[in-house]
Amino acid sequence: MTAQQLTALLPFFVISATIVAVMLAISVRRHHRLTAFLSVVGLNLTLLSLLPTWLAGTGPVQVTPLMVVDGLASFYMALVLVATLGVMTLCHAYFEGYRSDREEIYLLILLGALGGLTLACANHAATLLIGLELLSLPMVAGVAYATSDRRAVEGGAKYLVLSAGASATLLFGLALIYAATGALDLKALAAILVNANLGQPLVLAGAAMVLAGLAFKLSIVPFHQWTPDVYEAAPAPVTAYLATVVKAGVLAAALRLFHAAGAPPSPLVVKALTILALASMIVGSLLALRQDNLKRLLAYSSIAHFGFLLIVLVAPGSRSLETAGVYMATYLITSLGVFGVIALVSSPAGERDREKLSEYQGLFWQRPYVVSIFTAMMLSLAGIPLTAGFIGKFAAIAVGVESDLWLLVSGIVLGSAIGIYYYLRVISALFVPMPGYERVSESMSWAQSAGGVMLLLSMLLMLAMGVYPEPLFLLARP
Amino acid sequence: MELLFYVAAAIALLSTALVVTSPNPVHALLYLVLSLLAVATTFFTLGAPFAGVLQVIVYAGAILVLFVFVVMMLNLGRRTTEQERIWLSPVAAAGPAILATVLLFMLGRVIMPDTTLTAAGLKTITAKDVGIILYGPYLLAVELASMLLLAGLVAAYHLGKSEQ
Repeated sequence: MTAQQLTALLPFFVISATIVAVMLAISVRRHHRLTAFLSVVGLNLTLLSLLPTWLAGTGPVQVTPLMVVDGLASFYMALVLVATLGVMTLCHAYFEGYRSDREEIYLLILLGALGGLTLACANHAATLLIGLELLSLPMVAGVAYATSDRRAVEGGAKYLVLSAGASATLLFGLALIYAATGALDLKALAAILVNANLGQPLVLAGAAMVLAGLAFKLSIVPFHQWTPDVYEAAPAPVTAYLATVVKAGVLAAALRLFHAAGAPPSPLVVKALTILALASMIVGSLLALRQDNLKRLLAYSSIAHFGFLLIVLVAPGSRSLETAGVYMATYLITSLGVFGVIALVSSPAGERDREKLSEYQGLFWQRPYVVSIFTAMMLSLAGIPLTAGFIGKFAAIAVGVESDLWLLVSGIVLGSAIGIYYYLRVISALFVPMPGYERVSESMSWAQSAGGVMLLLSMLLMLAMGVYPEPLFLLARP
Repeated sequence: MELLFYVAAAIALLSTALVVTSPNPVHALLYLVLSLLAVATTFFTLGAPFAGVLQVIVYAGAILVLFVFVVMMLNLGRRTTEQERIWLSPVAAAGPAILATVLLFMLGRVIMPDTTLTAAGLKTITAKDVGIILYGPYLLAVELASMLLLAGLVAAYHLGKSEQ
């Protein structure tokens, strides 16, 4: 390997070293704050280690046939790492009051982040599969982290079985395409998807299975059924991880498969993607309407959001690649904020998270600061102007209009219109006047305030993206 | 060789279907052993002897024996001993035994001295080829797979730990 390739792999070395260091530290002495500190320092170093390759700007660096570190990879690696940092901060606040072992969650999340980095750089079917597994397998234990809670264990089992099924489907699909064409390289696979036609039954069946496997991880209808159950069962920081880190990593891999060839995918693939996208937008929005559980509502909202996002896989060209990055960044920062607030008002971990909508009635009068952030994040999810969510949706619709995808654009408009109703329903519940309320002074332990600072930062970043989105577009430009 | 491939593949499919449909775990495990052996045989016929050997040693040998022991150990007491005797009756073993005999017969036919051996696959992959690939271009995949194993280990440790 040359020095340039080793530099490109630096983030992997740093995060692997962090994983080993955290594991050893836990085995020597269980100390919650020390473990969290080590993990956060390691993640920050990993984020810094992205810089040399990014600043050098030498274009794509191919490292063995398995990985390529290019602009797309750097951007999504940064997204994965920033989201992981946010999740770590929430974990620290949330698990501070947890009675059983708290340290493993950091190890699991770090391992998951390594999977996210692998997916962002994946250039080969082998790295795609290993990255996907590394991203989701640790979270089986994450979802079922509170092993004494039946609901959590059930959610973990559900995630284990279904996610293994999805990975098996993906592997089978890759094997079928390999049998027909002998291609394992993602660039070659992308070119095969462009030229897929009815004369290649093996390739088409394989493409369908690959699409199904990825759609499961992105929770696209009809592969979405696990999402509300698992989101509900998992501790709030783990839900935040599932909604941000996992989605960013898988999206990067999906972009390489369906978008990297520079030409639109074959009409058959486009038809399948269009149907999946429309179904997600409509089904996600409609099912969210009748939810009384905030986590389930957000799960359906994420299904609808990824329906909107699928438009970038259908539209060819570098504009839509840029849009994918912008949309993902805005969605990521917003969900981190929303789940962050749920984690903060739920901790210290009680019997179950505060997730019923009725438990949020009039919360503003008790905890005004946190709820203000929550409101801003909800407005961003709804796509109100001056928030990041608006920019994401605007970019997605712009790409759709440019490529004449009117069906999908009208789907986005319809889905967003329905969305405003259920987001506003949550907001109005927060501000219901409570007679005889008592303002609870927010418990400001060190951990809680660190979580609060993270939330405040993410809200500022969200507003900055909404008001002045230019730098974000520049960063996301491949 | 091609005939052996198809017979072994058919046995693999049939016994895997029986794994899923068997109502009791020990029978299912017997079929699973057979299914893994049949898959190993298809690997041999395709010209991948190393993968076939690993399949036999690792899956049929180590992992399955572990499965059987776990299933047996979970059932303690006299009543379950009785249950086990019924489970392991000769009749229960008949199905896997017959299928295994077919597999053995086909294998025997192939290794008769007067047959010419050509792999059904395109070429034969030896252990050396696998090693060169794994520690050359696929080195990163090996390292990442070790991290994946670590993730599995940590997850299993956390979930399996008993609450005091």
